[in-house]
Amino acid sequence: MAELKYAFYTGCSAKGVAPELYNSTKLVADKLGMELIELEAATCCGAGAVQEKDEFLALTINARNLALAEELGLDLLTICNTCTLMLRETKFKLDNDPELKEAVNEVLKEAGLEYKGTSEVTHFLWEVIDGVGLDRLKEMVVRPLKEFNIAPFYGCHIIRPPYLIGYEDPDNPKSIEMIIEAVGGNPVDHTARLACCGFHSFWSAEDKVTLRLTAMDAESAKEEKADFMVTPCPLCHTQLDAMQEEAEERIGVKLGIPVLHLPQMIGLAIGFKPKELGLEKHVISTEEIIRKVA
Amino acid sequence: MEIFKLKVYRYDPTKDSEPYYRTYELPVEKGMTVLAALFKAKEEQDPTISFRYNCRAAICGSCAMRINGHATLACKVQITHLLEKYDTDTITVDPIGNVKPLKDLIYDMDWLVDKLKRVKPWFIPKEPPPADGTEYRQDPYDHHRIDFASDCILCASCMSDCNALKANKDFLGPMVHSKAYRFIADTRDGEKQERFEAILEDLNLEWCVRCVECTTRCPKEVQPYENIIRLRIMAAEAGYKTPGEIHAEIFEQDIYNRGLLNEMLLPMRQEGILGAIKRAPFGIKMMLKGKVNYADFFGGHKIKRLEEVQKIYEVAKQKEKEVKIKLPQIMGVIYEDKRKTRKRPNYAETGGNE
Ligand code: SF4
Ligand code: SF4
Ligand code: SF4
Ligand code: SF4
Ligand code: FES
Repeated sequence: MAELKYAFYTGCSAKGVAPELYNSTKLVADKLGMELIELEAATCCGAGAVQEKDEFLALTINARNLALAEELGLDLLTICNTCTLMLRETKFKLDNDPELKEAVNEVLKEAGLEYKGTSEVTHFLWEVIDGVGLDRLKEMVVRPLKEFNIAPFYGCHIIRPPYLIGYEDPDNPKSIEMIIEAVGGNPVDHTARLACCGFHSFWSAEDKVTLRLTAMDAESAKEEKADFMVTPCPLCHTQLDAMQEEAEERIGVKLGIPVLHLPQMIGLAIGFKPKELGLEKHVISTEEIIRKVA
Repeated sequence: MEIFKLKVYRYDPTKDSEPYYRTYELPVEKGMTVLAALFKAKEEQDPTISFRYNCRAAICGSCAMRINGHATLACKVQITHLLEKYDTDTITVDPIGNVKPLKDLIYDMDWLVDKLKRVKPWFIPKEPPPADGTEYRQDPYDHHRIDFASDCILCASCMSDCNALKANKDFLGPMVHSKAYRFIADTRDGEKQERFEAILEDLNLEWCVRCVECTTRCPKEVQPYENIIRLRIMAAEAGYKTPGEIHAEIFEQDIYNRGLLNEMLLPMRQEGILGAIKRAPFGIKMMLKGKVNYADFFGGHKIKRLEEVQKIYEVAKQKEKEVKIKLPQIMGVIYEDKRKTRKRPNYAETGGNE
């Protein structure tokens, strides 16, 4: 088996509001045999915000992030959908436009760096499937999540747009279901499976758009009697978990559907304690899950 | 002979109290499009099915519908591809989403036209044509910037699957914002300010939640999502101080000063002291859950090698004016991971922008 060694791009969320994602990723990756070399010099990806103001600056900053992985000779692994999109967008644009690449490299040179285009950008979700492999994951399961109905929530930027993501069919992705099945859970289909959580318009349209979407998503999982939702993105997680009560207020219905980070779900199945995975750090109570896996 | 099921949304408000589905069994024929299948069902089994079409060649934009949940042109997608893509024997056809269905697959277009009118989707020259009788001239790069956006066939596939529009029907939607971009970005056009005002009313442009459904659905190369981002850049350049613009500034400062975003101080900086007070209960909730990085209140930690980033800012800011970033071509492009083995096998030919 090829060596599973990655340049680990944490993103800001896992270092800020989602410490449980950072910790559970490290634990789970280690147990699955993935070696993560943290890029301690990496910056924020801009999250689409910088991209809406200074396109060239955003590209250059992310070219630097990519160059850091290239220095290590490793592929860059993310744990956030939006980081994945921003970094892949940068890579796509630079790799397909030699003049742009040259202009970016002229800037990077001043800081003693160069973007070559030798590292790929990948996500933890994909590496569990393609790197570790589902068979190996299955072998490691000690606590199958068989009593759980689990609603996948992909989040937009892990499937769309295909010219930048292209890992699987954005109309009918299967990766999260494959992992849910591998850890013994029952994936439930629901209308918001491929929908948007609303996060990115929060500051401009909290009431008009964001919380309405959040409510629809949680309701959709609830309707299918899911025990919890699972997502590969900390931004979706913040929106669906931390903002769920605000969304409930807007629709006047109590939903209370827990949301797990992907590595937390895997972690439960491969033998970590809920506490080690930071399940108590969620806003929507995960007590029911903790009780069942005990 | 292989048979598939065509499950069609049916609704005639003059007769039916509720919409329902009717399923037609048809032979799988190579090269048959969904539109052709609808014709076959109509001709051979049920003359009452109603749908719009015209060119049958993905040009007129009449035949958009939701096929297995995703909007596209019925004359563009083939049955055999879809059966493989969804690993099914049934193709479900619904009218496009976010609009009022009128009869079966036919939807109300007035609503879309009214939205479009708000951005004046026609060319308003800023000066009379050249006196020598030639046409308006444009720099090739300036033309390149609006070339893709000009290809919109108003099929509304993007409107159908737009998440912001799903949440709020007052959102102008990707088709309309994209049309506004086509003219605002046109160097020959003279009504930029009016159009900016239309798209920024109630911050409409910033309701877009960046779900990228629009670009994923678009049967042409219009790139509505990317056009919205371009519009936001142009709005910032034109001096509009929107929440999105403030947000971008905070990110830029944080990357410069520490490398990572300071999420803890974000609300305060985004919305000022009143905002911070409004958000306080939420902050306390997060604190109680141990989701707060206390160090961040005092600036927090810095990334390593921050001086590289600061140098990059300096140089990039000087250079950015002279860099002409080309719009990427995305038609038929699926991101290719250079590690060939890492591509999911279930990616059917019909995925994404064909
Ligand atoms: S997407 Fe968010 S978490 Fe990822 S680096 Fe950008 S700001 Fe940080
Ligand atoms: S709003 Fe949520 S689901 Fe949509 S793109 Fe952003 S993180 Fe993804
Ligand atoms: S990216 Fe924006 S405009 Fe496009 S579909 Fe999503 S919310 Fe709508
Ligand atoms: S932008 Fe694309 S999907 Fe939207 S109306 Fe125009 S052609 Fe159709
Ligand atoms: S019939 Fe004209 S686009 Fe399909």
